[in-house]
Order: sequence, then structure tokens, then C-alpha cells
Amino acid sequence: MADPVTTQASLEAVLKDEIIRMYQDVADNPEGEYHFFHGREAAELFGYDPAWLDRAPAGAVASFAGVGNPHLRSAIQPGETVLDLGSGAGLDAIIASWSAGPSGQVIGVDLNPSMCVKAQAHAATSGSRMECHQGRMEAIPLPDASVDVVISNGVINLSFRKRQVIEELFRVLRPGGRLSVTDIVSAKPLSQAIVSDPKLWAS
Amino acid sequence: MFRLFEESGFTRVRSVVVPHFRFRKLATQNSAEAYGVKAVLFTATRPATA
Repeated sequence: MADPVTTQASLEAVLKDEIIRMYQDVADNPEGEYHFFHGREAAELFGYDPAWLDRAPAGAVASFAGVGNPHLRSAIQPGETVLDLGSGAGLDAIIASWSAGPSGQVIGVDLNPSMCVKAQAHAATSGSRMECHQGRMEAIPLPDASVDVVISNGVINLSFRKRQVIEELFRVLRPGGRLSVTDIVSAKPLSQAIVSDPKLWAS
Repeated sequence: MFRLFEESGFTRVRSVVVPHFRFRKLATQNSAEAYGVKAVLFTATRPATA
């Protein structure tokens, strides 16, 4: 019988690869059809201001794969440091940078290093300042109490270790800091068939 | 997830369902509805004293 710890670790490794593959595909082939809405169509569905989408780089908009609009409640102020957890192609980070202003800082963290490169290129194109770190959400590569606001969009649900992710968010936020996170939740436990299928879990 | 935020020390945890969220493909949407899958906007604060 397989060791459950080994099985879990192996499943997580496969899931990591599948998450990278799927969201890289959305970024590289935004004209593709996926079973979730993406791009400008999704952003408009979730209430993103069309003026933001006109102003942001087309590539960042086209690759958007969020599940809601964390900017509705983020209330980012000039000068604040913002973490975008799972920054993808950079749309949310770029929008956040407009609120944080030149005295603020936006830091993206993404599992996929090539998405960090893409997001930073999009930010540079739009004149926005953004740094991006490759890293896992279960071990955010930032110091304790180093950010004022966390935003995230459709990312935490991808982790098998959600409690660890949320404890990491608590750790990196300064006392008094806040988060505005959109994500997918399920009212019922998912079947083992879904939990054990990285393609289903990643999507 | 709401409970996880509270248990991790966050306060002022709030959640609101994201209107209009749905999957593009009908079969996926039907499965999602069977499991009560929703998109939710969470807000929370790390206490100033924590």
C-alpha cells in the first residue's frame, strides 16, 4: 500500500506542473477556449473598469484568468506595499500599482518564473513598477510584516495546503495590514476523483 | 476558507459571493453547481496588535 505522505507529495508535484502548464497556456494562447472565462471578457464580467482594461497592456488583459475582482475592496493607498499572490501575467498587479503610485511598491509572487518575466514586461510596457518573485504560495519569499495589502485572484484554491497559505499571508502582512482575495470555494467536499486528478484540480 | 482566515488570526473577516461567476462550459458549470462551487471575495485584517 502506498505511503499516504509520499502519495500526497507526488500528487502535489504533479499538480504544480499542471498549474504551470495550464496558466502558461492561457498566457501563450489567450485566443484559446478554456472551460473558464478569461481575458477581457472575464474581467468585464467581474466588474473591472473598462478604462483600466483600455489602459493596461493588451497581453496582460488577454491572459487574465481571475475569478473575481479583488480591487473592489482593496482600497490601496498611495505609498502602500502590495503583494499580488499568484500574479500571473500581471493585470492585477498593474492595476494595483496605479493606486499605490510612485511612492508605493507592488510585488508579485508566482509559481512560474516565466510568468514573472511576462508580468514584469507588461508592467514595464505600461510604465508601472512591479517586481516579481518566483515562489510557492505555501512559502512566500518575503520577510515577515513586509506588506500593507495582499490581493489575490483565483489562486489559493489551487493549493492542497490552504491553511499554510493563509498563515503565510498573515505572516507577511504588517500588523494592521489587510487582504482582498477572490477565490473559489466549494460547499461540499470534492470527490476523490477530482482531488486526485491534477487537471481537474488545477482548473 | 472563511474559517481558515479566522483561525489564522485574521479579524474583520468578510465574504461576499462574486456575482456573475460561472464556468464557460455547461458540463463544468453543472458539476460546479452540484458541489456548491462559488467564487467569493474575502476581506480580512491582521490585527494591529498581532
